Amino acid sequence: MHCHGGGAEAPEARSRIALVGNPNVGKSVIFACLTGRYVTVSNYPGTTVEVARGTARFNREVEVIDTPGINDLIPMSEDERVTRDILLDGVDVVLQVADAKNLTRALMITLQLGEMGIPMVLALNMIDEAAARGIKVNARRLEEVLGIPVVPVIATQRKGIGELVASLSRARPSKFSFTYPPAIEEAVREVEALLHGRGNRALALMLLAGDESLSAWVHERLSGEEIERIERLRTRLERRFGRLPYNLARERHRVAEEILKGVLTRVLTRHSTESHSLLVRLGWLTMHPLYGIPILLLVLLGMYEFVGVFGAGTLVDFFEGVVFESYINPLATEVVYRLTDVELVRELLVGEFGIITMALTYSVAIILPIVGTFFLAFGILEDSGYLPRLAIMTNRIFRFMGLNGKAVLPMVLGLGCDTMATLTTRILETKRERVIATLLLALAVPCSAQLGVILGMLASLGAEAALVWGGTVLLVLLGVGFSAGRLLGGERTDFVLEVPPLRIPQPGNIVMKTLARIEWYLREAVPLFVLGTLLLFVLDLTGALGLIRSAASPVVVSMLGLPPQATDAFIVGFLRRDYGAAGLFALASQGMLSPLQTVVALVTITLFVPCIANTLIIVKERGIRVAAAIIAFIFPFAFLVGSLLNFLLRSLGVSF
Amino acid sequence: MRVHGTKKKRLEEVLEGIWTLREAGGCTLEELHAQTGEPITEELLEELQAEGMVRLRGEEVELTEKGERLAREVVRRHRLAERLLSDVLELSESVAESHACEFEHLLSPEATDSVCTFLGHPPTCPHGKPIPRGECCSKLRKEVHPLVTPLSELEVGAEAKIVFISPRRHSTLDRLASLGVVPGSTLKLHQRSPAYVIRVGELEVALDPEIAGEIYVKAAVKQKHH
Repeated sequence: MHCHGGGAEAPEARSRIALVGNPNVGKSVIFACLTGRYVTVSNYPGTTVEVARGTARFNREVEVIDTPGINDLIPMSEDERVTRDILLDGVDVVLQVADAKNLTRALMITLQLGEMGIPMVLALNMIDEAAARGIKVNARRLEEVLGIPVVPVIATQRKGIGELVASLSRARPSKFSFTYPPAIEEAVREVEALLHGRGNRALALMLLAGDESLSAWVHERLSGEEIERIERLRTRLERRFGRLPYNLARERHRVAEEILKGVLTRVLTRHSTESHSLLVRLGWLTMHPLYGIPILLLVLLGMYEFVGVFGAGTLVDFFEGVVFESYINPLATEVVYRLTDVELVRELLVGEFGIITMALTYSVAIILPIVGTFFLAFGILEDSGYLPRLAIMTNRIFRFMGLNGKAVLPMVLGLGCDTMATLTTRILETKRERVIATLLLALAVPCSAQLGVILGMLASLGAEAALVWGGTVLLVLLGVGFSAGRLLGGERTDFVLEVPPLRIPQPGNIVMKTLARIEWYLREAVPLFVLGTLLLFVLDLTGALGLIRSAASPVVVSMLGLPPQATDAFIVGFLRRDYGAAGLFALASQGMLSPLQTVVALVTITLFVPCIANTLIIVKERGIRVAAAIIAFIFPFAFLVGSLLNFLLRSLGVSF
Repeated sequence: MRVHGTKKKRLEEVLEGIWTLREAGGCTLEELHAQTGEPITEELLEELQAEGMVRLRGEEVELTEKGERLAREVVRRHRLAERLLSDVLELSESVAESHACEFEHLLSPEATDSVCTFLGHPPTCPHGKPIPRGECCSKLRKEVHPLVTPLSELEVGAEAKIVFISPRRHSTLDRLASLGVVPGSTLKLHQRSPAYVIRVGELEVALDPEIAGEIYVKAAVKQKHH
């Protein structure tokens, strides 16, 4: 850990400032004000939590870190854990950003930061919005009480930023202190003594609160006996007070309200309760039981138009049809043929399963435009504050599947890229929920690339075919979700979700996020596509592809009622979901599939095993056993549903 | 009469001790001695056995059917009193606790049910232990107008003060507390469907119906602004 305060700082060490605050208080905007263009966004090691770092030039260079929003330093989510870890790791100054409308919550964190003893500054953001609601904050008084600089700002208008920067040099640990009930204080003193200066009051409280995310930290530094003693103290407190994190938070809440009594004045303006801006009213409509539904459909339609039609249509046509087919691939082929006459190398690079002609064409020309437009749309939804409302609207459906509304996030993301979505299932709280969500993503949520091809084929068959396809997939999603929820037992976790106000997103912030995600895609997913293509190349080369083909074709022909050539599409689909769909597309356009066969084939390929990248991520995230179980279920299940559909449609005489 | 009262009180203390220990796993004589403040004399134990309230099985102390019923009532009175004193009257923990220890011996069955109804039939005490259900809980008699109701019974648009939160899972408490949803805060119920949305301060929070049923509130009296 760093040493704070006192002593001269080594000149070569850049000081680090961490922006900390509740969610949706404008940290990112202040971050942008401080750092300008010199920003990198990356995942915090071992997590999917994005942390932005930038450089600010005040009188010297300073590293500024934008941490994820928190409500408590005893973490209840991965986001909160990342922020807590950044703080434990040692920062020189904390710049806490508060929503001036909501100071109680902000002060609950301020009090915890005070317990950590880190030099800090408090920015009262959105002071204008607070004033509009009749809340007047006496910043001078608050500064006196807390003993830290308190600066009112309006970040979106860059007001007060100069003062804020100037105040950073006056940053110091809050002098405000308060005590918990005597029994707790006594235990804190004991733990602090055990820590021998290896941690402070805040850490002692976290340990007593039974913060499991600290166990690695604890085992590194404390002996078994010391841990045992802390554990005994903890159980004793818990028996006496009940749940400790709750009691601590409740106490802080009380103290915060007490502080604010001398700092806040509420002027009851006639308009403060009645007049609501258009955005506030729209915000209510988006979660209204009735009006929320058309809004949700409109949002989905907008996403479809932008990602499905513009991204997967216009952009892909351009990149694949023009850039790659007409320029890059012929050029690459020519160059490779001129450089080498070894057939194997030529095939490996520019052949049917070539790294350039297949892997790169596929990942850069087809997937990148789709994923890029999707990330852009997703970023807008994220920053506008719509996603939590989407979770509210869909909560009931997910409850049916043993999940809760929060699971809508990975599901929507899955419509973009199942691989990335599988990573974000980490936002779900229990292992059980993560397994269910991973299974559903792998089984029944088609990614945008696959969806593009499928929707294109369905469009030529008419609405009924699309309805049967969509209905079957949806039925499978709900049915499997419901059964998995029951089968895995265990309890659903609570749906307690903060609903941020609707906001007009800041374009700069969205561009930054989208670029960071595209960079992630290029770095993480493209190598997997190359790997998948290589595997296919080897299978083809060794003749294994032919063997699999002849083994699988009876199932495809007899049960699904498809022509033997369709087997190829499924084998390719093994490695890349949507390329399988594209194989079916080729068959259909050659007139080898009847409308009925097309629908059956599309349903089967939609449910069929996820792409290789997704499979690898499932193994990495859920472990090999869960991954194997998921694949072992999906494989026969997809064929079973396809066969049933085939049988049902034929017996009903439906031919579309 | 006085003597009788004191003895009854001591018997009840022991019954309560057995019940509490049983919740934590089991009740041996040794633990029972450690649990109850006063020494448990041979005489007291014999008395309990003679009254047909308690059975000894080796070291294990068990409640008979009769003892079970009495213990249940004592525990119920104690824990309801805790809720009343700490959440509604907002007395400090130690004061509430000592008063609750008196109340458990005083409340008549009618008064107990009234308190229970008044508090909206709380399922747990402030320490999270279950309050044994009474007859009033199943009948949901409406004669006593409950002062405290679950959030799920609040009207949309109404404001209320949180009196206590009694969740099935304790982690719910931490999560709610970190959002400022704690006893004493004022909330406004914004909508019920598709999920509950409440406003606490300037913050909107969405909740499952189950959790809304676990937050007990006292509806605010409408104040006229001058």
